[in-house]
Amino acid sequence: MKICMLTWEYPPRVVGGIARHCEGLAKAIAHEGHEVYIFTLDFPGAPDYEEVDGVKIYRTVTELGHPNFLTWALLFNHFLEKRLGQVSQQVKFDIIHVHDWLTAPAGISSKYRLGKPMVLTVHSTEVGRAQGIHNPDSFAIDGMEWWATYEASKVIVTSSSMKGELCGHFHLPADKIEVISNAIELTKYNISIDRQSVRSRYGVGPHEKLVLCVGRLVPQKGIEYLIHAVPSISWRHPEARFIIVGEGWLKGHLEYLAQTTGHGWKIRFTGFIPDSEVIALMTSADVLVIPSIYEPFGIVALEGMAAGVPVVASQVGGLAEVVEHDRTGILVYPRNPESIAWGVDRILSDPGHARWLTENAREMIQKTYSWEAIAKKTVKVYKEVGG
Amino acid sequence: MSEEVPEEFRLLCMLHNIGATKWEKSLSIQEISQWTAMETSSIEFHLQKLVESGYVQPIEGEGVGKYHLTPDGIRKVLTLYS
Repeated sequence: MKICMLTWEYPPRVVGGIARHCEGLAKAIAHEGHEVYIFTLDFPGAPDYEEVDGVKIYRTVTELGHPNFLTWALLFNHFLEKRLGQVSQQVKFDIIHVHDWLTAPAGISSKYRLGKPMVLTVHSTEVGRAQGIHNPDSFAIDGMEWWATYEASKVIVTSSSMKGELCGHFHLPADKIEVISNAIELTKYNISIDRQSVRSRYGVGPHEKLVLCVGRLVPQKGIEYLIHAVPSISWRHPEARFIIVGEGWLKGHLEYLAQTTGHGWKIRFTGFIPDSEVIALMTSADVLVIPSIYEPFGIVALEGMAAGVPVVASQVGGLAEVVEHDRTGILVYPRNPESIAWGVDRILSDPGHARWLTENAREMIQKTYSWEAIAKKTVKVYKEVGG
Repeated sequence: MSEEVPEEFRLLCMLHNIGATKWEKSLSIQEISQWTAMETSSIEFHLQKLVESGYVQPIEGEGVGKYHLTPDGIRKVLTLYS
């Protein structure tokens, strides 16, 4: 099959989880013998065309200035559609696969122009991300999300919780939605690192406990609740040090909040760091905390499990499906610093139990979350819709 | 909790919106002022903070200082939408 995949982020343009999802899926589908063509946006230093691991990647520049985000989104869709149109003169695509509403306009018009079916993966919804529809932009995005689900022959989501969200919010028929989970490339985590040297790079001593949090610094990640939990965690574990990895518009506020806890000197914000460094940190940490208030899947939980770090995660959305409480990790109440502190204490106070959790978690992800399995299920969906 | 977007972040978004996302698209303070209708003194003040944070890269072009977003700056803007 010849698959045309549209996504607004693809490595090295990494903003959230979509880039990694598309990369893993595209490589695995290409490995199955299909041709995968990615249409995405440019990024400094990345070529406008390249082939990586059998995946053909076309990057498009948005040539015009734009007054606001929605206008920009519509503009870059125009340029994506133009590039796709040029390539489709040489390549007869069998299927168009769109990731989230951001590339839906280009996907939908190409569906009609090429006469080929469109599959949509919904990674998250505006109503979930913004915890409601509070402004005109959100209202428009919510409408475009519904429109994309309507135009798609089949909608893929990564968790049952997300399926419930789409059935409830957009009134989609349940049989139009396929749950195909996210996955991770386990081999990336089979690395040998000098744990102490990684920790010392981040100022964590040999006898200190490293509490790690990885996520975009935006409200949905709930990082403020971890910061509020720092005094309680520190009271029980004075040797705990906190590293928060990620970038986001809330960074200034979170840094300020960290200072108000009285333990600001124990909390370090790294900003964006490359994947290899995130893996090194995960492998060196004593506990990974995921305090999200909205998480359609929560791939960072799988990444932590693959790296062998015990996971403490909020019982929300996909996280509650990925983490089995007290068997593969610890689930805590969302928006609840005391519960987070309890979860972290459960890990730090009982290293034997923590080790048992990580062993169970690794076994579980090996069985369930491989890209090979996810690629097979996705290709089955393509074939079902007539691709 | 206050989740108001800081003023310098608004400027960062505007730089993204007007396309100053790479070296060859760098803009001078005067050009940024024309595009955004912001006072040059205010732009200078916020740009300094953005440069210090690593979100904006200053360059010397045609005898005047010009500015464009760094990859981290682009990522920061995009977190607003994802």
